[in-house]
Amino acid sequence: MSVSGWEQLLFIVAVTAVAAPLLGRYLAATFRGAGATGSTAPGDRVFLPVERLVYRTLGVDPDSSWTWRAYALAILALGLAGTLLLYAILRLQGVLPGNPTHAPGMSPLLSFNTAVSFITGTNWQAYEGETQASYLVDTVGLVVAQFTAAGVGLAVALAVVRGIAGKARTVGNFWVDFTRSLVRVFVPLSIIGALVMVSQGAVQNLTGFRTATTLAGGTQKIPGGLVASMEAIKLLGTNGGSYYGTGGAHPFENPTGFTNMFDLLFVIVLPFAIIFMFGRLIGRPRQGYALVAVMAIIFVGHTVVSMQAELHGNHLLPASVSQVASGVSPGGNMEGKDTRFGPEGSALMTVGTMGTTAGATDSALDSYTPVGGTGAFVAILLGEISPGGDGGGLYSILVLALLSVFVAGLMVGRTPEFLGKKIRAPQMKLVLAYVLTIPVTVLILGSTSLVIGPGTSSILNPGLHGLTEVTYAFASVANNNGSAFAGLAANTTWYDTTLGLAMLIGRFAPIVLSLAIAGSLAGARVHARTRATLDTGGPTFAAFLLGVIIIVGGLIYFPMLILGPIGERIIG
Amino acid sequence: MRSAIFGRHLATSIVMLLGLTVVLGFGYPLVVTGLSQLFFHKQANGSLIYRDGKLVGSELLGQEFTDSKGNPLPQYFQPRPSAAGAGYDGSSSGATNLGPSNPLLIGFVAGVNTVGLNGQPSAVNPFATKADPACVPVSPQGTPVTSPAPGQKYAKTASGSYVCDPNTVPERTLAYRQLNGLAASAPVPVDAVTASGSGLDPGISVQNALDQAPRVARARHVPLQQVITLVHRYTQGREWGFLGEPTVDVLELNLALDGTP
Repeated sequence: MSVSGWEQLLFIVAVTAVAAPLLGRYLAATFRGAGATGSTAPGDRVFLPVERLVYRTLGVDPDSSWTWRAYALAILALGLAGTLLLYAILRLQGVLPGNPTHAPGMSPLLSFNTAVSFITGTNWQAYEGETQASYLVDTVGLVVAQFTAAGVGLAVALAVVRGIAGKARTVGNFWVDFTRSLVRVFVPLSIIGALVMVSQGAVQNLTGFRTATTLAGGTQKIPGGLVASMEAIKLLGTNGGSYYGTGGAHPFENPTGFTNMFDLLFVIVLPFAIIFMFGRLIGRPRQGYALVAVMAIIFVGHTVVSMQAELHGNHLLPASVSQVASGVSPGGNMEGKDTRFGPEGSALMTVGTMGTTAGATDSALDSYTPVGGTGAFVAILLGEISPGGDGGGLYSILVLALLSVFVAGLMVGRTPEFLGKKIRAPQMKLVLAYVLTIPVTVLILGSTSLVIGPGTSSILNPGLHGLTEVTYAFASVANNNGSAFAGLAANTTWYDTTLGLAMLIGRFAPIVLSLAIAGSLAGARVHARTRATLDTGGPTFAAFLLGVIIIVGGLIYFPMLILGPIGERIIG
Repeated sequence: MRSAIFGRHLATSIVMLLGLTVVLGFGYPLVVTGLSQLFFHKQANGSLIYRDGKLVGSELLGQEFTDSKGNPLPQYFQPRPSAAGAGYDGSSSGATNLGPSNPLLIGFVAGVNTVGLNGQPSAVNPFATKADPACVPVSPQGTPVTSPAPGQKYAKTASGSYVCDPNTVPERTLAYRQLNGLAASAPVPVDAVTASGSGLDPGISVQNALDQAPRVARARHVPLQQVITLVHRYTQGREWGFLGEPTVDVLELNLALDGTP
């Protein structure tokens, strides 16, 4: 990597290391009392009246706390209602107002795929942003879905923490957690973030296309739109769905080298902060640090690999094409990358967000070198835990931590314990179901797509690269990432349906299973720590957890990687 | 019992979503729009550039500098290749998405992706021309042929060699050298022969601009030094000294050239 590449990476690490613990402290103070009468939190004077108004309108008693089943049912109900509402908006956008670009209503299958995609926080975009979505769809339909997905993720994490670590038999009140996360976290931070982006050149207007007369005498359509407001929640909510088709590569979304790094920070700081919050909420900050360390190591690992590979460039280009980086040329693999980001800035931003469920890209992943693309692929295949989605990162790594204490317990012959609670067969069954659901979905749907005509006819690039296009698509949506090897023509009957299905499974199965695990541990006896208790907050356990993550992800997907990018690298 | 709970949650969800639609769907973007238009009016509207009162483009979007036939105008600095629509189409941003070994990107490279006239893998590229050993042939209609079949017809030049797909990197490299009068072995900056991620990349590398400067100076009959001075004036360095890469804004540079007597 080059000096400026390292500097950008260090900048990201340093800002996250300062900002995430501070934000984590704020989150812990906000969610410790969970809004119950009598508890206090920062900003109550502003936020509390808003929340009380919401509870009154909804008819919700903010002091009631529910079982995990009631909590999960509320999430499923909100998911169903949200999907239906968004589906209706997408189908009817042609006749609804707020459509200066004259986008026609989407087809039933594309509407299903898109509605599911945004409600699940996946933000897989099988449609073309500029021409197939109206302003109303973008701002009203999609932005509301993005806020909803973000709020649900954080709420689930809070419930899981209460179940795994708390003394009560209940896991909290979904409507309270959801409302507070929107009112106190996502909305205020989004407004600030959007204004920072606009100040750098991101657009925010209602004018539709303007026509410019170019210097050469032609015309150019200059797009407009409510871009920055969507960009902010797209990133902060680890959603990833962009206003424009090309996403974060578009100069009107991501105008400068500064916004490129700001955008990445806007994605990853909050998921890291949620882990710090976890440590504070359970009264064991060290446990939070251990999980953060594991996530940070994976994050740095996959980004460095991709940055180095993209800087090194594509060795199949003619030798006379200069790919050497210097002060006057970015060098590297510049296909699908904008000059202002260069190969390393592009890889840092794009692959950096792949360890979250955002999957926000500023460059074309399909054109990455095999090794560079593998960095992104592996981040997704490890299950989105570096640092994961808002809330999703926390409950995913907690499940993997339970798996790790179980394996460790087998090794030393003791009943495994996590945070003082015994982990037994009922929990392990749920953990295994959790760990297996997504790989099974990805491998079955992905391999089916590779042997049937409707699956293979959508592939753009020939050979092993084409195989990666398909398997990446399923891995991406099933992990609710939403990024793509975008050469794949995904708006077909087969892909709209199967990818939509994978998103639903990949979102709601882990949510229900992690809530079930939390429910089965809620109210369980907390054992006092003895000398023989495995310390889950130290470096030994962190290293062990890292190994379990890599072995679980690696063994399940290794054959697929061999047939895809690794094979492509060897043959190329 | 459980379905009753679900039904109650569903009712609550609908009220919640309607409320969110009003507050977050309309209120939030309008608040951001209001504040943006108030404090960052120029940026929020797309950093537009006007010349003599007419809109000519945006500081942030690249545009084409070609004649009506699509040939590059030598008096203007040329931007990077673009995959947005027919080129720098603001209503159709996007990348080529071509993989690193796709013949449409790298051409037919011997030992990697070459195929014979029958479509079977081959050790050499049967379509190689004198200028371009990686030539990807085109059909008489001009579409690139990457999976040849025995009955396939190909476009040929007057001298009988294959006509090559002009959008591969090897072909773009040849065209770049020819346009700028560079030697046959001269290195070509990678950004000049690859398409950007957005298709609207406003920038080129400094090396790319310096390689084009002599041609621009010749076409405009101005001293080379004057053009190079302008290139450096419109070079945007790394922000904060290390964020991103230095670029030259092509539209602003060309505007400045037009403004120079």
